Amino acid sequence: MLLQRRWKSRLLLLAAVIGPGFITASVDNDAGGIFTYSLAGAQYGYSLLWTMVPIMVALIVVQEMAARMGAVTGKGLSDLIREEFGLRVTVLMMAALVVTNFGNIVAEFAGVASSLELFGISRYLVVPVAAAAVWLLVVKGTYSSVEKIFLSASAFYVCYIVAGLLAKPDWAAAATATVSRPDTAGIHNYGYLFMVIGLVGTTIAPWMQFYLQASVVEKGVTPRQYRLGKWDVIIGCVFANVVAWFIIVACAATLFASGNHQIRDAADAAQALRPLAGEYAYLLFAAGLFNASLFAASILPISTSYVVCEGLGLESGLDKRFDEAPAFYWLYTLLIVAGAGVLLIPRFPLIHIMVLSQVVNGIVLPFVLVFMLVLTNDRELMGEHTNSRAFNIVAWITVVVMIALTLAMLVTQR
Amino acid sequence: MPLVALSELIGAPVRDAAGVAAGRVREVAVAPQDHPTRVAYLVVRTASGERLLPGEALTACGPTVRAATRADTWERYALSDGVLLLKRDLLDQQIIDVHGRKVVRVNDVEFESAPTNSHVTLDVVSVDVGARGAVRRLVQGVVPAFTARALLARIPPRVIPWSYVDLLETDPARRVKLKIAYQGLSQLHPADIADIVEDLPPAEREAVFETIDEEVAAEALEEIDPDIQVSIVESLDSNRAADIVEEMDPDAAADLLGDLPQDRTGQILQEMQPEERQEVSQLLEFGERTAAGRMTTEFVSVAEGGTVDDAIAAIRQFEGSREAVATVYLLGAGQRLAGAVPLVQIAVSPAGTHLSSISETPATCPADTPDKEVAALFDKYNLITLAVVDAHDRLAGIITADDVITMLRHRH
Repeated sequence: MLLQRRWKSRLLLLAAVIGPGFITASVDNDAGGIFTYSLAGAQYGYSLLWTMVPIMVALIVVQEMAARMGAVTGKGLSDLIREEFGLRVTVLMMAALVVTNFGNIVAEFAGVASSLELFGISRYLVVPVAAAAVWLLVVKGTYSSVEKIFLSASAFYVCYIVAGLLAKPDWAAAATATVSRPDTAGIHNYGYLFMVIGLVGTTIAPWMQFYLQASVVEKGVTPRQYRLGKWDVIIGCVFANVVAWFIIVACAATLFASGNHQIRDAADAAQALRPLAGEYAYLLFAAGLFNASLFAASILPISTSYVVCEGLGLESGLDKRFDEAPAFYWLYTLLIVAGAGVLLIPRFPLIHIMVLSQVVNGIVLPFVLVFMLVLTNDRELMGEHTNSRAFNIVAWITVVVMIALTLAMLVTQR
Repeated sequence: MPLVALSELIGAPVRDAAGVAAGRVREVAVAPQDHPTRVAYLVVRTASGERLLPGEALTACGPTVRAATRADTWERYALSDGVLLLKRDLLDQQIIDVHGRKVVRVNDVEFESAPTNSHVTLDVVSVDVGARGAVRRLVQGVVPAFTARALLARIPPRVIPWSYVDLLETDPARRVKLKIAYQGLSQLHPADIADIVEDLPPAEREAVFETIDEEVAAEALEEIDPDIQVSIVESLDSNRAADIVEEMDPDAAADLLGDLPQDRTGQILQEMQPEERQEVSQLLEFGERTAAGRMTTEFVSVAEGGTVDDAIAAIRQFEGSREAVATVYLLGAGQRLAGAVPLVQIAVSPAGTHLSSISETPATCPADTPDKEVAALFDKYNLITLAVVDAHDRLAGIITADDVITMLRHRH
C-alpha cells in the first residue's frame, strides 16, 4: 500500500518534469531522420540495427549535458556561450545556426507537403495552411499549452511502432541484429559506411541542444527537480530510438525482403510499403511523416529564435507576448514564412539550400559539442553538478566520434 | 569630455614614461569601496607578467594608453575580490536596468576621461546595451577604424547611465565588498521588482532576495508567480525566509508556506515572531481554496459602542494592508460581529457620531465557503471587503477585493 503510494507520487513528480527532453528527442525523428531510417532498412535490411544502441547512448550523453546546464544555471546555451566565450564567437555561431536551421525548416515543410501529396492534396494548399497553423500555435500559446501539444505530437510517433508490427518482421533476426557485433565486411563497403554516417549524423544536431536547454529553463526545472528531470531525457531518447528501430525494421521486412531497395524520400517509403505491408501500414507511415514534419517545422524556428535572442540579450520565450518579445516572434515569423515560401516557388533550387545547410551543420556541431563539454566541466558555473570522470570519458569519445563522422559525411558528399 | 569604450581600451597598447611600448591592457578595475565610478587601475600584460597600472599614473586614454611612470615601477598584479573587473564581471553579463525596469545584457562600457592636475581620470559613465556596442565589438579590427566610426555614427545609441545599473553578483561576500545593495531596484514598485526577478536565473534571484530590505522583499514576493515564489524561499536560509514571510500579508504568507515542503514550512514558522507565526499557522489549517484560506486576519475593528473618533484612531494605528481599511468592523460582546461602517461614511460624518448610527449590516460568509462563491458574493453585492465569520458569528478575518481579482486571474 505504502509502496504503491510512493510509486504514485514518483510518477506524479515525473509527470511534472517530463517535456523538454522527451520533445527534443522525438523531434530528432523528423522528415530527414525518417527518410534515413527507411533507406537504411530498405538497402541493408536488419544489418544496420546494431547502430541503434551506440546512437542512443550518444544521444543521451549529449542531451543530458544540455538539460543539466539548463537546470543548474537557469540560463540558455547561447547565454552561457556568450558569457564564457564572448560576443564574436556567439554571433558567428548564431549566423551559422540560422543558415543550417533554415535549411532544415525548408526540409520539414517539404515533408509536410510530400506526406499530404500522397493523398492527392496540393502543396499550394497544404504548405500555407500548415505554416499558418504552426505560427498561430506558438504566437498565441504559452509555454505550458505549447508543451502539451508537442507532447501529444511526440506520442503520435507510436504509429511507426504499429506500422512496424503490421510489417510482420522476423523478430528473432531483428533482435539478434540489434545486439550482435557489426559485420566487419561492411567496413570495406563504401555505401554501407556512408549509411552508418548518415544514421549517426541525423541523430545529433546543434539546434537540439539549444532548444532543450532553453525549454528546460523556461519550464523552470530546478537543480533539485533535475534528479527526476534526467529521466525525461533518458526516456525521451530511448523512445525516439525505439521508433527509429521500428522504422528500419518495417522497411527491412518489406522493401529489403522484396528487393525494392531504392526510395527517393520518406513519402516514397510510405508509397512503397503499400503493396507489401498493406493499406494500414501505408496510412500510418504517411500520417507519421506528416506529424513529424509539422512538429519539427514548429520547433526548429523556435529553437533558432531562442538562440539569436538569447545571444543578443533580447527578450525571448513562449510565455512572453508578441509585443513583449518582438525580436523573438518576428524572427520566428520570418523563418516560417520564408521556409514555407520557398517551397511554393516553382523550380526553386532546393537542393542547394539543403547541401549548404548540411555543410554548415557539420561545421557548427563540433564547436557546439566542445563548448558544451567545457561549460559542463566549469566548476564556477556548475558547482557540484560538473561532469564526473566516467561521464567525461564517455562524452569525449562521443564528441570525437560524432565530429569524425560528421566531417566524413561532409567529405563523402562531394 | 571624450568618451572611451571598454572594448577600445582592452587590447590597447600601453606606453610608459619612457615612451616604451610596455604591453597591452587586459582588464580595467574599479574599486567601489574607494570610489563608485573611478577606474582604480588597469591590468597590463607585459613581457614580465601582468602588472598594475594605477589610475593616477595615466596621462592619456584612447587608442594608445600613456602612463606617467616607468613600467618597471608597476606592481605585479594579483586577483582581488574587492574590485570589479569590468571585462570579466560586466562585459556580456546580465545587469538590471533600473530605469528601464528590465534585465539586459552588457555590450560595452563607456568611460569619460577628464584631465585632472597632471593626469587623466577615467570614470565609468554608462553601459551600452544596444546595437551600437555590439557592432563596435564585431567590426573592431576587421574593418578600418574610420569606416567603423562612420558605421557606428549611424546607429542610435542605447546606453544606461551607470547610476541606473544594478549589478548581479551571486557570492554574498563579494556583494558586500563591491557594495552591491540593489538600491535602485529597491526603489521600484514591488510589481516591477517582481517582473524583473522573474526574468533572472535562480541564483541571481536568490542574491536579490538575500540583499534587499525585508519589507520590500515581502511586497515583491507577493507579486511573483507562485512556482517561482516557492523556489526562491526554498533557496533562502530559514532565518532570512522567516524575516521576509513575517512582513508579508498573512494570507499571502499562508499560501506560500502551504506550497512549501512540510519540513521547510515548519523550519520557517519556528524562526518567525510568535504573533505572526500564530496568525499564519491558523490560516494554514484552512483549505487554500476557501474563504478562510484567502482571508487576512489583519482588519480594522472598533467596539460596538464606539464613535467616529475611535474609528479614526483605530485606522491610524492599523498596520495591515491599505485595502483592508476600506471597512471598519464593529465588534460586540465576545468578538461577535455587530456591524460594518464603510470608510466613506466615517469620512463624511461629524466627529462624535456613534458608529452604530451609520453602521450597515455586514456581508459575511462562513470560513469554508469555496472561492467561487466568494467571488459571486463580491459580484452580487459590489463588495470591497467581505467578513469571514466562524460558527459562533465571531469575525475571523476579511477578504478584500484585490484578493478576489488575484484569485480570478489565477484560476485556469
